[in-house]
Amino acid sequence: MKNHDTLKLQSWLPKVKASSLSGWSVFLAFLLLPAFVWAQDAATLAMQVEYRDVPGIGSRNLIWIVAQQHLLLAGFVLGVPIFAWICEIVGWKTNEPRYDKLAKEFTKLLTSAYATTALFGGILLFLLIGLYPKLMAYLSDIFFPSFIAYSILFLLETATLYLYWYGWDVMQGKKKVFHLFLGFLLNLFALGIMMIPNSWATFQASPVVVTDGTAIERAWAAMQNPTWWPVNIHRFIANIVLGGFICGAYAGVRYLQAVTKEERERYDWMGYVGNFIGVFGMLPLPFAGYWLMREVYQYNQQMGITLMGGFLAWLFILQAMLIGVLFLGANYYFWMGITYRVPGVAESYKKPILAMLIVLMVSLAVWMTPHSLVASLQEARQMGGTHHPLLGVFGVMSAKMTVANLMILVTFISFLMYWRAGKQETAAWAKIAKAVMGALLVIAGLAVIVLGVWGYFVPAIIRINYFSVAQVLIVLFIMVTFTPLTALLMKSAKTTTEMIWGQMPVRAGYTLVSNAVMVILLMSLMGYARSSSRVHWHIYGVMRDTSEYAYSPALGYAAAFMSLNTFVFCMIVAFIFWVATMGDKATQGTEHGQPEDSPVKIPGGVAPAIAGGSPREGQTFVNPVPMNKNEDT
Amino acid sequence: MSEVAVLQLMGLCVVGTGILILLFLKAVFVRVLGFVIIMLGIFTLIALGVPQMASLPPAVETFDIASVKTPDDLASIGQKIFFSKGQCALCHSIGPSESARCPELAGIGAKLAPEFIYESLTQPQAYVYLDFRHDGLPEEYPARMPHINKNPIALSEQEIYSVIAFLQKMSGEPISIKVEDVLNIDVGEMKVASLVGHGGN
Repeated sequence: MKNHDTLKLQSWLPKVKASSLSGWSVFLAFLLLPAFVWAQDAATLAMQVEYRDVPGIGSRNLIWIVAQQHLLLAGFVLGVPIFAWICEIVGWKTNEPRYDKLAKEFTKLLTSAYATTALFGGILLFLLIGLYPKLMAYLSDIFFPSFIAYSILFLLETATLYLYWYGWDVMQGKKKVFHLFLGFLLNLFALGIMMIPNSWATFQASPVVVTDGTAIERAWAAMQNPTWWPVNIHRFIANIVLGGFICGAYAGVRYLQAVTKEERERYDWMGYVGNFIGVFGMLPLPFAGYWLMREVYQYNQQMGITLMGGFLAWLFILQAMLIGVLFLGANYYFWMGITYRVPGVAESYKKPILAMLIVLMVSLAVWMTPHSLVASLQEARQMGGTHHPLLGVFGVMSAKMTVANLMILVTFISFLMYWRAGKQETAAWAKIAKAVMGALLVIAGLAVIVLGVWGYFVPAIIRINYFSVAQVLIVLFIMVTFTPLTALLMKSAKTTTEMIWGQMPVRAGYTLVSNAVMVILLMSLMGYARSSSRVHWHIYGVMRDTSEYAYSPALGYAAAFMSLNTFVFCMIVAFIFWVATMGDKATQGTEHGQPEDSPVKIPGGVAPAIAGGSPREGQTFVNPVPMNKNEDT
Repeated sequence: MSEVAVLQLMGLCVVGTGILILLFLKAVFVRVLGFVIIMLGIFTLIALGVPQMASLPPAVETFDIASVKTPDDLASIGQKIFFSKGQCALCHSIGPSESARCPELAGIGAKLAPEFIYESLTQPQAYVYLDFRHDGLPEEYPARMPHINKNPIALSEQEIYSVIAFLQKMSGEPISIKVEDVLNIDVGEMKVASLVGHGGN
């Protein structure tokens, strides 16, 4: 045996000597052997790492900031193309170049915003892989095929965006239809880009059991979780709202900065369009939110209770406050429009506006009434519990659903009022139509209130499944029938008072900014709610969060973070707008400079509501009221 | 100073800064920023004014085999597994439910023999239940039952028997799984028949 080994060694040694290179290689291999072993050990250890932390700020907080920025930017990037595409279609159908110009202006923002969104997405991905490796490995195992689909959609979206933006001027005239088709594709791919990550997030909140099967079958089964579609619809509408209000805020700031009359008109009109699209999306949004909550309750009652009645209950009071301020802001902007853009009609609208303001304020007060009051022990004893004997009635869902529907109705009426201001219907059937609409509005309002009161006397399941749904359907019916009916009435209407742009007071600009901030805060707040409803689970009921951050912070701490995120997002968006419009300012400086009291040629205008009821292109008038910039700063 | 007090102080400073900007600065963009931070500061202060409740995670529950003394202990562990690691409640309800994606399990421990339940958990396609809760022909339920002893759920034999014990107890049935057999289980080797007493039907 020994001889045999010696022989083997002897036969091996000459080979080593034969090549010094081979010898050194073997020598190095021996030297590096511990390193290989160490690397293997390190790799094994790395595979076992569940979490990594970031000193100081903490991994969870860092992810919170980056994810929130990415989500808000994504909402903006997905909302603006919808906004731009709608404007482009309106411009194409009405032959109004200003819509096309507006659509192009906002599409220009997309190129820089798109890159910033992708940048934050990349940072978020790196951070998630590094800080939450176990969770990401689990999700990757299930969703990998969707990653491929997402990447392909991203490529398609990028290519379409380039074609859509760079081909804008080339694809005019007969080629416009193709350009619109590109806009459609852009939004279609964007929808897919939104829906796929939604499935990852909703799977974390409402997972389904993933059975055996091919990778695609498993991914598809996980994507079709109970809250996927409600979140898809809710986010799609919310993105339109965000896009509209941010465009409105941009117009508001530019309006405040405007030097020339033409700029003031332009940005006043732009602010109107942004606010219009924001409100247009905001009206059905609560219904989508209601559907989402219903699905959450159906999926897991405990999760629903955590949201609505558990430690997150007070969050919904904050939500009511933000939505209330948003509704008030949107309505106030409409009312200012009636007062300043349609001179002479303000007096006749004073009483209805006052009535609507009262309804909004009362509704907001009811919505903000908590079910359980913050009370001292003595106060609680006097009340017989934490429920106030009188106000406690308003703290339940039946009251809140009722006032939410009333607020939507009031906002819709504000919009109709603005649309009809300064116009006289000429159609023979106008009187009957107006009477029927008035009667239907009263009946709808009463029906919503009656169902709300009745809701106190029936079991919760009947209220949730029938009464609340009926309230929603009533309000939707009003919106769906009144909009085309009013459009028909306005088609043949005679303009009695011309719409004047650029006369809105300074506070109108701030109102537009306030609306945008409220929407951003709302998105941040509800993102925290959705995330916190999972409590101590990464994937609800499946993968527990065992990190030191497996708790949901209290509302005050969370609100400070939301405010920080909102501020950072506003700064990023401001930067994007500044970069994108840098070139415009240089050229505009040489083009404008119209004297303040000269007749103003309105840049087009047409009947649709989105136009704000402005006059037809070519009509001119003299500004009756000079704008006083110091009126209300 | 408490965390809430610190945050309140910061909120007040932010609002104050915004007010100072609006009072003394003329640049429009800076004024708009001042307006925005006032809103954000007020929002934070209001949020700090409502009751501050954090959601703390409960203690991690582990399957401590040594703690099992009685069949009820076993069923108690099975209940925890049913609603957590086993993920059973993601699809199954106990009692009628509109949202249940699979058969509801009320009384299942009395209706089915433990051998059959074991087979349903480990070979779910061996016998497929159909949904009769609607008009027309019976259909498969929306969700397919996973192999409960394989990834990603991968319950151990001991955990599976605990779940069976829970289903029996929940159905008002005497627990037929023997504790001593579960404690001595050689994972993967022991068959259900050897663990079941005389209660199986």
